[in-house]
Amino acid sequence: MKKIIVILFLIFLPALLGGCFDQKELEEQAFVVSIGVDKTDTRGVFRFSFQIANPEVGSSATGTSTKEPAQAVISVLGSDFLTATNAANATVAKEITLNQARVVIISEKLARSKEFIHLMQSAPSTVDLKLNAQLVVSKENAETFIRNNKPRLESRPHKYYQYMLDRAKETGIIPDAPLVRFFQITEGDADLFIAPYATTIRDDETEIGEEDHYKAGEIPVKGESQTQFMGSAVFREGQMISTLTGEENRFCLMFDSTLAQKDILISFNDPLMKEYQVAGRLDINNVKVKVDYKKEKQTTINVFVDFNINIHAIPSTVDYIQSLEKQRILKNSIEKQIKNRGERFINKTQEKFKAEPFYWSLHIRHKFLDIKQYEKADWMNKIYPNAQVRLHFNLEGLEFGKMLRETDIEEVRD
Amino acid sequence: MELLKKPMRARELIAMIFMLIGIKGGDTTPSLFADEAQNALWIAPIVSFVVILPPFITLMYLLKKYQTRNLAELLHHLLGTKLGTIIGIFLFVGAFISMAADMRNIVEEINYLYFPNSPTIIIYLIFIVICLFVANKGLESIGSLAWAVLPVIVLTIISVMFVDFQATVWQRIFPILGGGASIVIRDGFSLSSVFLEFFLLTIAYQAFHDTKQFRIGMYTGSILSVLLIVLFYMIYTMVFDYNTVDNIAYLYQESTEIVPLGHFFTNISTFFMVGWLLSNFLRFTIFLYIICWLYGALFQIKRFEGLLMPISFLAMILSMIPPNFITNEMIVRKTSFHWISPIYLCFPFLLLAASLWRERRKL
Repeated sequence: MKKIIVILFLIFLPALLGGCFDQKELEEQAFVVSIGVDKTDTRGVFRFSFQIANPEVGSSATGTSTKEPAQAVISVLGSDFLTATNAANATVAKEITLNQARVVIISEKLARSKEFIHLMQSAPSTVDLKLNAQLVVSKENAETFIRNNKPRLESRPHKYYQYMLDRAKETGIIPDAPLVRFFQITEGDADLFIAPYATTIRDDETEIGEEDHYKAGEIPVKGESQTQFMGSAVFREGQMISTLTGEENRFCLMFDSTLAQKDILISFNDPLMKEYQVAGRLDINNVKVKVDYKKEKQTTINVFVDFNINIHAIPSTVDYIQSLEKQRILKNSIEKQIKNRGERFINKTQEKFKAEPFYWSLHIRHKFLDIKQYEKADWMNKIYPNAQVRLHFNLEGLEFGKMLRETDIEEVRD
Repeated sequence: MELLKKPMRARELIAMIFMLIGIKGGDTTPSLFADEAQNALWIAPIVSFVVILPPFITLMYLLKKYQTRNLAELLHHLLGTKLGTIIGIFLFVGAFISMAADMRNIVEEINYLYFPNSPTIIIYLIFIVICLFVANKGLESIGSLAWAVLPVIVLTIISVMFVDFQATVWQRIFPILGGGASIVIRDGFSLSSVFLEFFLLTIAYQAFHDTKQFRIGMYTGSILSVLLIVLFYMIYTMVFDYNTVDNIAYLYQESTEIVPLGHFFTNISTFFMVGWLLSNFLRFTIFLYIICWLYGALFQIKRFEGLLMPISFLAMILSMIPPNFITNEMIVRKTSFHWISPIYLCFPFLLLAASLWRERRKL
């Protein structure tokens, strides 16, 4: 009896080896951190650029630092993500894995073409590619973008993208755009999708203005790093149609109740000394969108935004801090200024894009019983472009940080 | 097989029902419902449950009335050996097809998502061998095992829900009726055999400490499972939108894949594989055991454990016939549900009619 058990045990032991079919050694893999896709002259063929990170660089094992570079960029032709990965393996000894890819960079040229949506269709069925990777639109070719992108302070490329995108998202100048959101909005066919807009090529002919009125490439930065993430690319039905500036993008974040509301740095005209600006951090407490849908008549959309402002800088040194009267003026002025800017942007979306990037179609859905009625009412083409949008901004709290009063500059000059 | 000691109580049954039915929140069943009902995929199981409730309560009532019987004996007693066996065979075939199709789906899922380079047949074999190994130990072991792993699975479910919740937008459940009221109700009816395991479990009516424990376990377990399923389906709708939800086959895995936890934990989906895999092993162990029991009881095979091996391998071979997963899910599984549902919905009423007729004849 014992013998039989031992023999049976030995027979079934190899079954444990079944797990080895999919064994992957860490050493045998090349981790792609970003994928760039460009248009080629042939239809249905794209140029894929894979940025492969060297995991040894920047690791805590500093004793054995290698002379290998931190990253390598390979570009190959292919029709979808998977075939391109295979093609790239022709030049890389290790197996290329997309598991860790955090960013997919699309050139503006490709994004504006009709082929883009066909490329994207292959993304969800690529098992390796995680749908929470970010979509970024680059002004130049994606390949150029990846090759030019040489961060000075962060040598590990995977960290670089993560930090860069997170920082820019916190200040509100670019949107959060995971691949899954692209599919949700494009397939929902009612709203515009926005993705971060970036470039490594500086546009020299821009004037100096307020710090958030730029698009990528227009910011007059001096320094070695050329990369700029600013503003967003607007997609309608899976095709890029336009771009937004950083400021316009902030309004998108402000009005969209599905995005995490982070604090946004923003500046206004000083109401008492017009030539100066007041800068502060804007916290959004609550956004409510009420759609008053009328079948035959014009629809009214009421947007209520409650926010706090924490003023950081008052370069004009007007003493807002201690005068309640002046605070009231500032409060009204801020509300008015935001409202004006917001209304200008809403007008632009209604007239130029004829659709909105705020995911507002969500707020009309509960008026319909089933999808057929909802799709027939046609939020994107019929309701929104003709709707009347009313913005209501309410500044709930005004704070002044850690200063008790402004220095009296007149006295200093004396 | 007559069990002499009956240590199993309601909690084991609840755990077993949870594995057998509640886990359908995490397999490919939601994509079956989402196919036409779109974002109303969470209403359809409620409809299904309401639809199976009258026949199910009827069956429970009959079992209570004829105290010493289980499902097969009840069939024989009320309908006579011949007709009872025929109906029993119908039930068995329905359950067998459903098990085979489900098993193929799970194996394909494991293969496609976690072990893409392994041959399907190897994964299938290992899967079946494990199920057989556990099933051979008998119902008591299965029951206590189910109860023992339940914490792991509940923990997995809670953490999945927590993770998924961050990606939900509650407005996405509107328009509330999705593809349309008529479609939701039709799907609810035709796919009601998603819950056919409830009927099958009545084969174990006598296996518990006393029948009261069985009834308590059965009702609590089924309500909990349906709640879980509905909650999961609602989350899927709220994570994906109505147009995306019917494109995705493996909603459970995909939903965990799109949510990063902060900077560091960006790919967390594999954490939830362990609980999922465990529950699926148990699910098919229980399923396999129960349909073998049904078969054994129908043909008076006392030592039905011997049937486990042939039935499981037959199921494996048959389920490998559909050329791919999509055919299996959308054609084989869907059509078989359409055919199985009426059988399961009608047979308790047939039994009730037989029982009433008997009583009248007695008078």
